[in-house]
Amino acid sequence: MQDDKTGVILDIDDVCISYSGELAVRNVSLPIYEKKITAIIGPSGCGKSTLLRSLNRMNDFIPGCELTGTVTFGDVNLVNADPVDLRRRIGMVFQRPNPFPKSIHRNVAWGPTINGFSGDMDERVEKALQQAALWDEVKDRLQDSALNLSGGQQQRLCIARALAMEPEIILMDEPCSALDPVSTARIEDLLFELKENYTIVIVTHNMQQAARVSEYTAFLENGVLVEYGDTEDVFTNPRNQRTEDYVTGRFG
Amino acid sequence: MSSSAESNLAWRHRKAAVFKGFCLTVTGLAVVILVVLLYQVSVIGLPWLDGQFLSSFPSRFPEKAGIKSALAGTLWLVSMTAMIAIPVGVLAAVYLEEYARPGRVTEFININIANLAGVPSIVYGILGLAIFVRFFALERSVISGALTMSLLILPVIIIAAKEAIRAVPSSLRQAAYAVGATRWQVVKAHVLPSAMPGILTGIILALSRAIGETAPLIMIGALTYVTFIPEGPMDEFTALPIQIFNWTSRPQQEFHELASAGIIVLLVVLLMMNALAVYIRNRGTR
Repeated sequence: MQDDKTGVILDIDDVCISYSGELAVRNVSLPIYEKKITAIIGPSGCGKSTLLRSLNRMNDFIPGCELTGTVTFGDVNLVNADPVDLRRRIGMVFQRPNPFPKSIHRNVAWGPTINGFSGDMDERVEKALQQAALWDEVKDRLQDSALNLSGGQQQRLCIARALAMEPEIILMDEPCSALDPVSTARIEDLLFELKENYTIVIVTHNMQQAARVSEYTAFLENGVLVEYGDTEDVFTNPRNQRTEDYVTGRFG
Repeated sequence: MSSSAESNLAWRHRKAAVFKGFCLTVTGLAVVILVVLLYQVSVIGLPWLDGQFLSSFPSRFPEKAGIKSALAGTLWLVSMTAMIAIPVGVLAAVYLEEYARPGRVTEFININIANLAGVPSIVYGILGLAIFVRFFALERSVISGALTMSLLILPVIIIAAKEAIRAVPSSLRQAAYAVGATRWQVVKAHVLPSAMPGILTGIILALSRAIGETAPLIMIGALTYVTFIPEGPMDEFTALPIQIFNWTSRPQQEFHELASAGIIVLLVVLLMMNALAVYIRNRGTR
């Protein structure tokens, strides 16, 4: 693994996460590089979502969930950060599209509004929707309910909602698992454009997706980081037998 | 094998049909009883229901007696009860669902609120008499009545509001937290608006109960013969169910008919409140 810490925006160091005493993530150390896509793969229940959700402190809402170790973001330890400020800087897209039951415009504008954004809101909304490749489809009906959009459109709206905060990192928890292949392809195209400006951490079940979109890949099994490295190496030349079995589809 | 499966299927269909018929009968019975009741009350009470009845104070002469003071007292009582019980009840529910850490203490509070919802109303009357009328020396005033009624309906409001808040999907809360919202911002912008229809339904049920309760009001000493309209929260008062109760306990037939007219007024007030709540709810969900 690389010892060079330049370009590391988020440094996960010896992190253990437990639910009511039961370990879900064990001693994971992992760098997240700036303006790159890092994929976390692994079988169901391996702790990849748990690890991802610890990066913007979403696990705070789960009673009995505890984290040891450090996650360094810039020069602060996430454990000591203000979670509200943290989530403003580290956005998240969830597994199932979860737009607010409000207008399309409001969905995107709400985050900036509550965080005291005082600039041109319409401009910010348009920019976020354009970045999420949704603008052309919704520009004439911004006041319609977001619930009238299709699943794929809703998920792109959720991405726009995260982008409107202009976060430094975007966490994506299996963002395509509830979508059809066409919508999935659109979101993957989107990821390529977004990594110009954003750091993305994506949890996925889809091996091809991880291979297609990411620069770095981490393979987790039973809460243990089995392998981490350049995506190409992990997929074509894995060091670990378990990784090879998993990425070639022999199990999981 | 297949023939036995077929006869089994026929038997299952028959059972389903019997159960459906049973449910229909029970529902029909409830509706018939309600219609008969309304019909009877209307036949007896409607002839007495006129402007004179609505604008007169009680009297020992049935033809001069009216419901003005009781109607005014009920409106005072219900609006003050609403002003006290709705904010307290809804905020308590928000605290218990959104803020309180799940644990023994929260569990203990929840169980006790559920128990309080089942306490007979007369017990609240005794409590109101001891605390508000005597200890706080609020006398037999509208505020005493409203505070007592608030205690009575608080558990109903809290439980309904808690259920409504719990039904808000957690994915919605997470979405809001994930863009850097504080707890209060999440509650205000997303949880409460989504839970509002359920909360309003609970409030309607609770206030409907308050409007019909008689026992606690008698206990705290609301008057039965009032020839004035309360002008402030410290004034004495009477209420519709008390007036109705008073009329039914008189020996003269005319007063029994007046009671029926009073019941119609009570039902109309109730229906208007429900209509208002439905209107607010429909406007809110749009």
